[in-house]
Amino acid sequence: MASVTSHSGKAHAGGASAVPAPGFLSGPEPASVAEGFRSAQAVATLSPIKWFGVSGALGALAFVTFVACLGFGTETISFANVAALLAQGPFAESEIRNAPHYIILWQVRVPRVVLAFMVGGSLAAVGASLQALLRNPLADPYVIGISSGAALGAAVAVLFGIGLSILGLSVLPFYAFLGALLSLLIVYRIAVSYGSFSIHTLLLGGVVLNAIFSALILFLTTLADPYKASGMYAWLMGSLTGPDFPTVLILAVYLLLGVAVLVSQASALNLLTLGEEAARSLGVEVERVKRVLFAAAALLTGSVVAFSGLIGFVGLIVPHAVRLVFGADHRLLLIASGIVGGIFLMLADTLARTLLSPTEIPVGVVTALVGGPIFLYLLVRQRRRIVS
Amino acid sequence: MSERPETPNRQPPFVVDAVTFGFGRKETAEQSPVLKNVSLTIASGEVLGILGPNGSGKSTLLKVLMRILVPQQGRVKLFGHAHDAVSQAEISRRVAFVPQETQQAFPFTISEMVLMGRYPHHNRTWGPGWESSEDRAVAMQAMSDLGVSHLGGRLITNVSGGERQRAVIARALAQEPEILLLDEPTAFLDLHHQLEIARIIRRLNQERGLTVVLVSHDLNLASQYCDRLLLLREGEIVAMGSPEEVIAGESLERVYDCPVLVDRHPQSGQPRVTLPV
Repeated sequence: MASVTSHSGKAHAGGASAVPAPGFLSGPEPASVAEGFRSAQAVATLSPIKWFGVSGALGALAFVTFVACLGFGTETISFANVAALLAQGPFAESEIRNAPHYIILWQVRVPRVVLAFMVGGSLAAVGASLQALLRNPLADPYVIGISSGAALGAAVAVLFGIGLSILGLSVLPFYAFLGALLSLLIVYRIAVSYGSFSIHTLLLGGVVLNAIFSALILFLTTLADPYKASGMYAWLMGSLTGPDFPTVLILAVYLLLGVAVLVSQASALNLLTLGEEAARSLGVEVERVKRVLFAAAALLTGSVVAFSGLIGFVGLIVPHAVRLVFGADHRLLLIASGIVGGIFLMLADTLARTLLSPTEIPVGVVTALVGGPIFLYLLVRQRRRIVS
Repeated sequence: MSERPETPNRQPPFVVDAVTFGFGRKETAEQSPVLKNVSLTIASGEVLGILGPNGSGKSTLLKVLMRILVPQQGRVKLFGHAHDAVSQAEISRRVAFVPQETQQAFPFTISEMVLMGRYPHHNRTWGPGWESSEDRAVAMQAMSDLGVSHLGGRLITNVSGGERQRAVIARALAQEPEILLLDEPTAFLDLHHQLEIARIIRRLNQERGLTVVLVSHDLNLASQYCDRLLLLREGEIVAMGSPEEVIAGESLERVYDCPVLVDRHPQSGQPRVTLPV
């Protein structure tokens, strides 16, 4: 049964079908001079040098943005003054420590701008990972309903006061994590049940999930007392108001852990963009990688939502822009999206704080006003590409 | 591409023993299996074509070989090792799979796509996994073998179907496999590119001794380029043997439920199938 039939009679049959010599298969000419030049580079891929160069440069840019954002607010502090006060460190001599600008800078603005950086970075990294996992460039934790799942989890915990702190640590992120994980699993089911490329099914599923979770949250808020309810509304719109240092530190631990896990799976994410079957055929332990990614994405989304509510579209527009500039390799994409997402949200929050000062616009409103139209533009373009 | 020494008495690439596979939950899988009690041995260095009507289980069988799908019953052995005793990466270092269609929503370059074929050789589950200079050399050789070197900097989303298919085969070669599995490699290609891919497959088989298993709807292409054919109907093997034996009017008419005419290819003399008027 296993006998190999001989090649005779076929191998050299057909005078017209001479086998081309290796490496001399006819291929079409490069489309343009520029592309021909680019492809002349040996192998156009990511190298550690490019990785360190790009992340270093973006990191420096993030630091400059951070310092610049510290100066803006209801009370403007000059750049020189910001630099001088920053140089004093958080534990300055008592006479400096009581200076109004020092207090504003270290107790209000530094925690807030750091929070903005971390939240923006996490959302962008989660967005990039979800896009690969769902093979859909329009996936975003807010758009597809993961954030509102997390918000529902947190709202349930707040309104029913379930074990709000253990050993002084808030357990809100844990409930938000559970909510995020639940909605992620639902969304994933929706995405895979109609094949890998039904962009519209995924988005519609997300819209409906969002509607259901929002309705449940609103229902829960009507049960709560008015004071609690108004706090809930402000939080739901997305706000980075008033974090203290311990809060920021705790959040930093969760977020660094989550982002580190995502980055560690970057190679597997590259292969997952080919589809699960192709990824498996290339040696990826798909089920294990998916479990790890789900957990990390839910941890990040849950923690972010528990602290700063619903901030949308960062996870959509940032990875999109980064991909256009630096390419699709997730080893660079995740880290670069993280830094650029941080920069983006620091700027958006500075706008939110200063545009109508002293009144604050919820930062979620700013990101939605910037990101929503971009999302619609991408959606229309995507559709055209499919039709053509 | 490194040469592999031909060890004597080596185990056959694949032994499939009484495999039954069905999709879905256990009960539905058992009630309506896609593959029913399939057994076959694939010999080293052969080109095996899997034929059959839509839904006969062709692609499923290929995916079972790649362990993309795991059968409910029966065993698959790869070079004598039970499939469930080795890691996915170990399988991927010896077997490469070319899917029917490669969809990619993200702007990866052709070079990046081909380098993905080196993933099973990194043998790590955490960390960035930077490619070594050897990885790059293997990928570049694979690209030049498939004539896509000049496309290295182009985006996978911006090349033609034929170029994309060649890049995907280059990625498979970058895995340095001993066995190449292809799922309808010419399904979405025009005549020119069909011939090109078919010749590439034959060349890889003859010059490198790659064992090839391909699924095809194109009976004539299979007749022309395969050493052995396997005809599936509703998950069962109906016929297996040389093209002469399998491409026969009677069995084809029975399997495809449609009258066919079988004559000879004017150049090769291989059986040729056409539909009556």
